[in-house]
Amino acid sequence: MSPAAIQVENLAKSFGGLHAVAGVSLSIPAGERRVVIGPNGAGKTTLFNCIAGTLQPTSGRVLLFGQDISTLPENRRTALGMGRTFQISNICTDLTVHENLLLAALGNDRRKWLMHRSAHSFPDIQERVARGLQRIGLAARAGELVKFLSYGERRQLELALALSSDPKVLLLDEPCAGLSPSERQSFSRHIGILPRDITLIMIEHDIDIALGLADRVTVLHHGRVILDGTPDQVQKDEQVREVYFGRV
Amino acid sequence: MRLAVTIAILAVAAVVPLFAGEFWITLTTQILIFGLLALSADLILGNAGLFSLCHASFFAVAAYTTAILQVRHGIPTILAAPAGVLAGSLLAMIFAFAVRTRGVYFILITLAFGYIVWGVAYRWASFTGGDNGVTNVPHPAIAGWSITSSTQYYYLVLLVVALCVWGYHTLISSPFGLTIRGIKSSEPRVRSLGIDVSRHLYVAFVLSGVLASIAGVLYVYYNRFINPAAASFPISVEAVLMAIVGGSGSLLGPLIGAGIILGLRNWLAGYVHFYNGILGIVFIATVLWAPKGLMGLIARWRSGDRGEGA
Repeated sequence: MSPAAIQVENLAKSFGGLHAVAGVSLSIPAGERRVVIGPNGAGKTTLFNCIAGTLQPTSGRVLLFGQDISTLPENRRTALGMGRTFQISNICTDLTVHENLLLAALGNDRRKWLMHRSAHSFPDIQERVARGLQRIGLAARAGELVKFLSYGERRQLELALALSSDPKVLLLDEPCAGLSPSERQSFSRHIGILPRDITLIMIEHDIDIALGLADRVTVLHHGRVILDGTPDQVQKDEQVREVYFGRV
Repeated sequence: MRLAVTIAILAVAAVVPLFAGEFWITLTTQILIFGLLALSADLILGNAGLFSLCHASFFAVAAYTTAILQVRHGIPTILAAPAGVLAGSLLAMIFAFAVRTRGVYFILITLAFGYIVWGVAYRWASFTGGDNGVTNVPHPAIAGWSITSSTQYYYLVLLVVALCVWGYHTLISSPFGLTIRGIKSSEPRVRSLGIDVSRHLYVAFVLSGVLASIAGVLYVYYNRFINPAAASFPISVEAVLMAIVGGSGSLLGPLIGAGIILGLRNWLAGYVHFYNGILGIVFIATVLWAPKGLMGLIARWRSGDRGEGA
C-alpha cells in the first residue's frame, strides 16, 4: 500500500499553557479531499500551520508521502510538493498579477537565482504563467498591480499561486472567507474542478461549502479530533451538533 | 521612451565638462559618487524593504583600504582599487547577517555596525591615522596613464557609475530581483512559494555592499584624502535620505536625490550657515507629502493622479 499523502501522528502544539492542538492523528490518502471543521479556537489553523511548516509542533510528526517533514522549513516542504493559501489574503500587492505568477513559477526553479537576465526571458516559465492566468480568468488584468484587484480576484490569484508549483498536496485555509455568497459559490466551483490527483486539505467555516467539497470531514474541538467521517456521518452525528449548535 | 531618456541623460552627462567650469565638474563627480552610494543603500531599501544605517562602513572600509595600499605600500591603482572593493565586500558578507532581523531591529543592528567601524577608524590611530586619516592619496593611474585633471576623472567616474547602474537595472529585472521585490511586498507568501527568503536577502545585502564599496573607492580618488568622517553616521543616513528624496525603489531616484541634496547644500552653504536645517525641512516635506520622492511625484503626475501616492 502506498503511503498516505499526509500522515499526522500524535501532533501537539502549545502556546505557553494553551494547548491549541492536543494530540491529533490524521491519515489522508493521496487524492482525497479532506475538510477540517470545528468551532472557533478548535485549533484548525494551528494544525494547518504545523502541517505547512509555518509553526513547529511541540511534539508529534508530520509525514508527506511517508517522508518525515516535521523539522523541514516551509520552503523545503514546497519543494517536496506542498502548496498553501492563507486565511488572510497574502499576496505581493506591490507587484502585478503577472509578476506574482512569475515569482510563483520561479519558486521551485533553480533559475530563481539568476541575476544577469530578465525575469521575463524564459519561454517555458512565461507559458506556465499564461496558463495560470487562463485558469483563474485574470488574463485581461495581468499587468495590473494586485492592490487594485477586488478581494475575490485576489483569492483567485492566491489559488493560482498555490497551484503554480504543481503541488501534490494543497492546503487551503478558509478559501471562501470574506467572500460574498455568490462569490463563494463561484470560488468553490473553482476548487471543485481542480485535478483529482491533487490531495486537498481545507479549513472551511461555511458548512455547506465544506460538505459539498469534502470526501471526508475531520471535526476538531478543543485541539482534538472528535469525529472523522463522511459528510453524511458528520451531519448526523450528535456530538458534532452539540459542539456547533449547543445542547438542545 | 526609456531608451530615449537613457541616451538623453548620458548625452547631457557627457557634455557637462565642455560647458561647465571646474566647480560644476567636481560637484557633478561628487553627485555621481554619492548617487552610487545612495543607489547601493536603496538596493535593499527600495527593493527588499531593509533600512540600513551602515552603508558608510563599506564605503569607508573600501576607501581606507585603497588609500592605505596606495600611500603606505605603493601598490598601483590597478590592484589597490579592486582590493578596496574586495575589503568592503568582505565586510558586507559579515554585516549581512543582520538580515536575520527585520524592521526596527535591522535598523538598530546596522546602526551599531556602523558605529563599530567609525570607532575603529577613529581610535585605531596607528593603522588608520585616527582623526587625521590618510592623506596624500595619489591620482589614480591606469596602465601608466595618470588621471590628473578633474575632467578626466569625471569621465572615469561617469563610466564606472553608468556600468553600475546598468548592472543594477539588470539585477532588479532578473528573477533574483523579482524575488527580493516580492519579499518586500509579502514575505510569508514568497516563503510559501518555495523560496529561501534569508539567503536571498543575504545575497542582496552583500551585492549592495559591493556597490557601496565601489562608491568608496571612487570617493577616495576624488577626495584624495580619507578620515573617519567617511565612516560616520551622517554619511549612512544621507545615503538613505538621498534615495528617499529622489524616489526609493526607482533606478534614477537615488542619483537625482544625490543631485538635489548635494546641489542644495553647495548652493545654500554660500549664503547661510544653517543649511542642514533647510535640508531637514526638505526631508520632512518629502516624507509627509511625497513619500515616493521626486520620481513618485513624476509618476503620479504622468498617470493623472490616481490618488495612491501618499
